[in-house]
Amino acid sequence: MPAGAVTALGDVDIRVDAHDYVAITGPSGCGKSTLLHILGCVDQPTAGSLVFEGRDVSTLKESDRSRIRLTRIGFVFQRFFLLPMLTAWENIELPQAEAGAAKPARRDRTRELLDYVGLAGRRDHRPSQLSGGEMQRVAIARALANRPALLLADEPTGELDEETGAQIASLFDRVHGDGTAIVVVTHNPAVAARAGRHLAMKSGRVITS
Amino acid sequence: MTAWGLAWRTIARSPARSVLAVAGVTVIGALLFNMLLLSRGLLVSFRDLLDNAGYDIRVIAAQGSMAHRPPIADATSLAEAIARLPEVESIALVRTDLGQVSAPGENAAWTPIELIGMTDSKGGGWTIVKGSPLPTGPSAGEPPVVVNTTLASMLHLEPGSRLRLRLTSAGSASALPLVTVRVIGVGGFAFEASGDLNVATTMAGFAVAHGTPADRQAEMVLVASRPGAAAPALAAIARLRPDVRVLSNDQVMAQFNENAFSYFRQISAVLSSMTLAFAFLLIATLLTMSVNQRLGEVAALRALGFPRRRIAANLLWESALLVGIGGTAAIPVGGVLAIILDRILRQMPGVPARLHFFVFEPRTVVLHAALLALTGAVAALYPIWLATRLPIAATLRREILS
Amino acid sequence: MRILPPRLPVRTVYPIIEAVPAVNRARASAFAAAFVIALAVPAAMAPTAPDLPPMLISRQLAEQEHLHAGDTVTLAQDPRGTRARQFRVAGTYEPTPDPMRFTARRIEARMHLPDLMAIAADPADPAASESLSAINLRLKHPEDAVRFGSALNARAPGLVVRPTVRARDGSDPFAVLERFHVAVATVTVLGSTAFLLALMVMRAEERRETIGIIRLIGISQRSILLEVLVEGMLIAVAGALFGIVLAVATQGLVNHFFQWRYDTALVFVRVTRVIALQSIAVSVPLGILAGLAGSWALLRRDVLALVGR
Repeated sequence: MPAGAVTALGDVDIRVDAHDYVAITGPSGCGKSTLLHILGCVDQPTAGSLVFEGRDVSTLKESDRSRIRLTRIGFVFQRFFLLPMLTAWENIELPQAEAGAAKPARRDRTRELLDYVGLAGRRDHRPSQLSGGEMQRVAIARALANRPALLLADEPTGELDEETGAQIASLFDRVHGDGTAIVVVTHNPAVAARAGRHLAMKSGRVITS
Repeated sequence: MTAWGLAWRTIARSPARSVLAVAGVTVIGALLFNMLLLSRGLLVSFRDLLDNAGYDIRVIAAQGSMAHRPPIADATSLAEAIARLPEVESIALVRTDLGQVSAPGENAAWTPIELIGMTDSKGGGWTIVKGSPLPTGPSAGEPPVVVNTTLASMLHLEPGSRLRLRLTSAGSASALPLVTVRVIGVGGFAFEASGDLNVATTMAGFAVAHGTPADRQAEMVLVASRPGAAAPALAAIARLRPDVRVLSNDQVMAQFNENAFSYFRQISAVLSSMTLAFAFLLIATLLTMSVNQRLGEVAALRALGFPRRRIAANLLWESALLVGIGGTAAIPVGGVLAIILDRILRQMPGVPARLHFFVFEPRTVVLHAALLALTGAVAALYPIWLATRLPIAATLRREILS
Repeated sequence: MRILPPRLPVRTVYPIIEAVPAVNRARASAFAAAFVIALAVPAAMAPTAPDLPPMLISRQLAEQEHLHAGDTVTLAQDPRGTRARQFRVAGTYEPTPDPMRFTARRIEARMHLPDLMAIAADPADPAASESLSAINLRLKHPEDAVRFGSALNARAPGLVVRPTVRARDGSDPFAVLERFHVAVATVTVLGSTAFLLALMVMRAEERRETIGIIRLIGISQRSILLEVLVEGMLIAVAGALFGIVLAVATQGLVNHFFQWRYDTALVFVRVTRVIALQSIAVSVPLGILAGLAGSWALLRRDVLALVGR
């Protein structure tokens, strides 16, 4: 059969407020990650619009969208995607340097974040020297480096065992409690249970909210 | 972290790969450096030889060239007229012919030589290693000669040795006299090739060997103009005798450049281009493979908000570091290679022993650096395009699924 | 085989060694090149004179002076017209490409020797009409050329006898150029080997996890090594063949360029079967060894390290 166009998302209309904690669940291929990528200005909808903090993202240039991703949104990936040649400290410091933060400010913030995720003693370790859970905590710290308004997490516990996953879920609680909105795509019931709102998706549509 | 700092970390992350890539750039860069040296080496070296001879203008017969010099009619009068010009500092007459020499003795073998007659006793840049140069004034007795070191070594000649000499002018089978000459010096001749056998004598000695009284013939008049007066001297000499060709050293260079040297300039251009194309292909392939291995990282950085120009800057710095380190190391390696290649090419018969094919000039280093930098920048274009245009979401998805 | 006077009367940087067809008559073209064609009389201005001595002119001369077969020209020893004689242009020829003179414009002509002597020989010199610059010989047994030359050199000390085969002592300019090009090729191979190794190391790293999984499920190191070997050989052979094809294609470009640039029929680059086989003999083992070297360190690493555990 010839390949044709696939509608990854259809008729999705959601609103995420500051201080929201939203969990998106659904079977594989239902469009969860696609929705997350659109929310994170990583992908563009073929129809419809995304308004982020009052700005229509679709009218912005790519450089402006990059700026939003750098300073207003934090991303946590299933496979961590830490830079393997940088230490934990340097991975966390990198987005701050890109955002133009001064060196003393970067130093203070990086130290604060390492303490926050409980890895102060691993600051000089490279990702290959960290466990999966430790790598994910560094990734979360990196995502929070520029004090984003919104944290997006795509299957953050997908590569982790149950106990480590629970640790990550607790960390998300803390991040939310400190005022950051979170949208997490997850298969993990423990993570989903901690969210204040749930979106269930199927075949590209939000079926329950 | 700066773009070059991140680029350095990326390169250092795979030391084996990076060392090999730098080694490759070093070797190819050394070859490029050599080809750039070759493109001007002969010109610079030959120019040095011409300038060190002490003369900046050469006068030859109109129908001749620097390679083939028929006699100039009434050359002595011409030389006297040139010497009287206010723009001229000194002159010398030159004539050459082919001959044979042998040590005295009935059964001694004859050795072919080239006989040079010159009114400049210093020989226009000859280096006397034994004995004395030709006398400036007339000399009594047997004509004095200076032989080159190769001939001296072959026939075991020392100052004071005697030689039998007979000329064998081309185009004439008439018998020329056998003349006994006296070796007064041994030296290196400015334009002699290795294997050349040269004998120099005074014009009077030349005329004796030719069997004619000083017949006022010469095939070339060498002129040294006063400082700053080369162009006026050239014009003044041309006005004196329209039947001669007056060539400045620049014009002599242009003749040799067009004929004898052009092969090496062309080879240099062809090999330089091929080397740059080679370097471009290899650096582009390395960087492209490197980007393809890191697509997930690149997509993640883009997702985290790193703009395209930052990704591009990282890759440009990676290329710059590989090419920069390799290109810098290429200079000393290229220097060693130049010595080896120069030694090979100077084995060519007929090449003056003091001529070099590879001559170092600072401008060559600058050109080398500029060409490599440009090549590195152009080689990075495709990998930059790949990295900056990748679809972030699709790449992330693919990386997770793979 | 060429017999010459003691030294050729040349003062170029490189000696002129003419590629000589082995014909048993003196080459008048060496003298003819020294002369100047004073003027060319178009056939329309002079009556056709079939009894004028014939002359062949080079293609380059014909183009430069706009001459054609049947034209009458005057040939003299110098621009003043010394010993001028008229000749009939019998035709044009393409000069045998001479690698030692490829930059020279081949403005030359050929004629019968007595005709040349009539212009070149100085009547005041009774021996001038007996003077030649060279005699070419074709031997009954060409393989004896070197021995014959040595024997003749010994018997006639005033002559230089030179076989037309290339000298084996390495002083031949083409031997020198060959050494130069081999040196350049060696350096190129060294540089490309370094790059090839770098690429092979990268390829091996790309497949680190795959190799780890294969070894985890029980495939032996030897089998993996064999696979790497076969893969390397296929890539090396394909690369070598592609390289030969590329060389053959570019040789045409190089030859066209230089032939146009120097107006010569000389072939500058030729990819012969021997050269192609030599290139394959160097590149295929290099490619295989580079593939093995790139994978070697990987194959010796601990399996769990390969899969990142």
